[in-house]
Amino acid sequence: MLKVENIDVYYDKIHAIKDVSFNVKKGEVVTLIGANGAGKTTILKTISKLMEPSHGVILFEDQPLNKMQPHQMIYLGMAHVPEGRRVFAKMSVHENLQMGAYIRKDKAGIESDLEKVFNYFPRLKERINQPAGTLSGGEQQMLAIGRALMSKPKLMLMDEPSMGLAPILVQEIFNIIDTIKESGTTILLVEQNANQALQIADRAYVLETGKIINSGDAKELLADDTIRQAYLGG
Amino acid sequence: MILFLQQIINGLSVGSIYALIALGYTMVYGIIKLINFAHGEIMMAGAYFAFLVGVHLGLPFFAVLIISMIGAAVLGVFIEFIAYKPLRKAPRISALITAIGVSFFLQNLALVIFKAEPKIMPNLIVKRPVNIGSLQIGTVTLATLALSIGFMIILDVFVKRTKPGKAMRAVSEDKDAALLMGINVNRTISITFAIGSALGAVAGVLFGVMYTQVYPTMGVMPGLKAFVAAVLGGIGLIPGAVLGGFVIGMVETITKAYLSSQWSDAIVFGLLIIVLLIKPTGILGKNEKEKV
Ligand SMILES: Nc1ncnc2c1ncn2[C@@H]1O[C@H](COP(=O)(O)OP(=O)(O)OP(=O)(O)O)[C@@H](O)[C@H]1O
Ligand SMILES: [Mg+2]
Repeated sequence: MLKVENIDVYYDKIHAIKDVSFNVKKGEVVTLIGANGAGKTTILKTISKLMEPSHGVILFEDQPLNKMQPHQMIYLGMAHVPEGRRVFAKMSVHENLQMGAYIRKDKAGIESDLEKVFNYFPRLKERINQPAGTLSGGEQQMLAIGRALMSKPKLMLMDEPSMGLAPILVQEIFNIIDTIKESGTTILLVEQNANQALQIADRAYVLETGKIINSGDAKELLADDTIRQAYLGG
Repeated sequence: MILFLQQIINGLSVGSIYALIALGYTMVYGIIKLINFAHGEIMMAGAYFAFLVGVHLGLPFFAVLIISMIGAAVLGVFIEFIAYKPLRKAPRISALITAIGVSFFLQNLALVIFKAEPKIMPNLIVKRPVNIGSLQIGTVTLATLALSIGFMIILDVFVKRTKPGKAMRAVSEDKDAALLMGINVNRTISITFAIGSALGAVAGVLFGVMYTQVYPTMGVMPGLKAFVAAVLGGIGLIPGAVLGGFVIGMVETITKAYLSSQWSDAIVFGLLIIVLLIKPTGILGKNEKEKV
């Protein structure tokens, strides 16, 4: 479904991503793990066209993305839950979810998906008219995920959905990710919480200072000693 | 008492013109964080469009108004496209200086095309006093108030209820997140310039009709005062622009009537300084803290 082939990405002169290739197949949960500054966010932004690779190609459903504009990606069926949630703080929970469905015209479908999101996250329903900026960090994360779901994506890019959340909420978020996967959505998950990520993922890639240094079956990586030492705290 | 009430109504009417212009400042600031110093000149251009159409085609007021709004909207979008868009990633000061440059350019362009002496705006609105109770109010004053408030209500509904209006708010909050939603950010910015400029044109036409004159520098003072109004109310906030506009119009009218017409401008700008000292974000502005 998604093929990233030999991409290089720069911030001015900083070479953030170096010749990275990987792929995500339909129905999979693939996770990119790596320490702070490894380049995980940069890769997701490049897939969403918020950044341009200086070299290499990205294919989504065999279609190269180099001529596409960033706002067109969601039409292809790609939704991105950005790092730091990035909800529209002054807009209500409801309006944020409407923005998630911005490209859709099927009113009935939007309404039923809204109910689906409220089923996942009942707390959002209680706060439907509250400005998103007044939600707690965890609730904002739920809203960011809900907003992405509102576009009915085929592929969801998730950037550290568990960042800054209490352990009980982390579990809740990972349960939701599992449910999203069960419903047939393909997921590319970026996490520092490697343990949790590897538990729900099918495959994983390990990123270090802009390069992929390891990859494979998630369960095998979870058992791998060097990975345990580097990313799972021994 | 009657006189005082009449002054209040004059103040509201002048204030509503400032509010219309201030809306353009604040909407543009809200979406690209630029003080569009050429906005006063958009208002001036709107007045000239009305003058041309009014004199040469002899169309009725509403037709003239609509044509002037469309003309100003096109001009505003064009300016954004050629002067500001290329600078979107540049430091903010570059765009600001460019805006000042565009302002001078438009003033001089008007000077070259229309010469310095004022043109007489045709009487697009029949001028006569209207009696409301024991108050006597001019048709132009009434029309100004009614039209301004009408356009403000339309704008409010547009921004709060419609899809492009919501997209506009989303873009002004977070451009990248808006892109991820599928919102065409460039088009949304163009729409914002179009609307702000069209409202500026309404102000220009009303201002021209009120003072029966159109001249190249006519946008300078109203533009400056509307800018003060936008900052006073809280730049980037639509209700702030409306409130600021009415406050400035009222203060100016009342000081002119009861204190001194020479000092009214100084008092208006002094008011801004005082408000900003007490509340740097303006009357309705909040000191926002972002959740991390
Ligand atoms: N806007 C920027 N300008 C310059 N350098 C940047 C910018 N954003 C990121 N970088 C650099 O690019 C590299 C990769 O950053 P990136 O944000 O992709 O890391 P990450 O893996 O997502 O880290 P984290 O886990 O902390 O979110 C880092 O060295 C970072 O300093
Ligand atoms: Mg990151």
